[in-house]
Amino acid sequence: MRMSLAQRVLLTWLFTLLFLIMLVLKLDDKAPWNWFLIFIPVWIFDTILLVMLIVKMAGRCKSGYDPRNGSQNVKKKAWYLIAMLLKLAFCLALCAKLQQFTEMKLVYVFIPLWALLMGGMIELGYNIFYVRRD
Amino acid sequence: MLFSLRELVQWLGFATFEIFLHVLALLVFSVLLVLKVDSGGAELSWWQVFIPFFAADGLSTYFTTIVSVRLFQDGEKRLAVLRLFWILTLLSLKFVFEMLLCQKLVEQTRELWYGLIMSPIFILLQLLMIRACRVN
Repeated sequence: MRMSLAQRVLLTWLFTLLFLIMLVLKLDDKAPWNWFLIFIPVWIFDTILLVMLIVKMAGRCKSGYDPRNGSQNVKKKAWYLIAMLLKLAFCLALCAKLQQFTEMKLVYVFIPLWALLMGGMIELGYNIFYVRRD
Repeated sequence: MLFSLRELVQWLGFATFEIFLHVLALLVFSVLLVLKVDSGGAELSWWQVFIPFFAADGLSTYFTTIVSVRLFQDGEKRLAVLRLFWILTLLSLKFVFEMLLCQKLVEQTRELWYGLIMSPIFILLQLLMIRACRVN
């Protein structure tokens, strides 16, 4: 299952647009919805990504898969999975905070995001400084 | 994960280093935001909280100018001008959004509604969609 670039862009674009529209409606007090409802596009998008990732990782368990060509790959997939979970944790904590379910400090909400951004920056930095351009 | 870095660079038109810069700005911004909100907001003004984004925009503009000048000198005039225009459009839309948001947070005026503040982002999304069709 490999989507073309246009399909992936369209998917991202659609969910981002939906989320932004709902966010604007909520912020302008036009829609008296719960914050968890506003984040529905984010939940759907994350679920799609997680399912795609898990299906790909599960593909390794198929019979006849040659494990020699993918030790690097599996590390990368694991990092992506962790990144997705961190993002999900951040969004959930943010919703809970905005909805005032809990009286926690904003620091705890942002810890998953910081971990995610640090990881992303390490990956980007590695790509800038160590990988030879082709 | 959804996009490889290579596709992102092609699609957004930013160099990897610039993406790195903007992620760093987001990180510093979030730290400042937490400091501002958790401390009751006495020490930091909203303009100070937004400094990382403005700095990243400035640095990115500088970087783009340099790259475009070099491309122009190397004879790739068409590419240089196209790149310059594209990046400047993106950055200026982002900058307008940040300015409006900051102004709203500082003054809390009713006239500046969030639909208006987000409008540069909506334009940005359409532009990115059009560009995605061309990248393929």
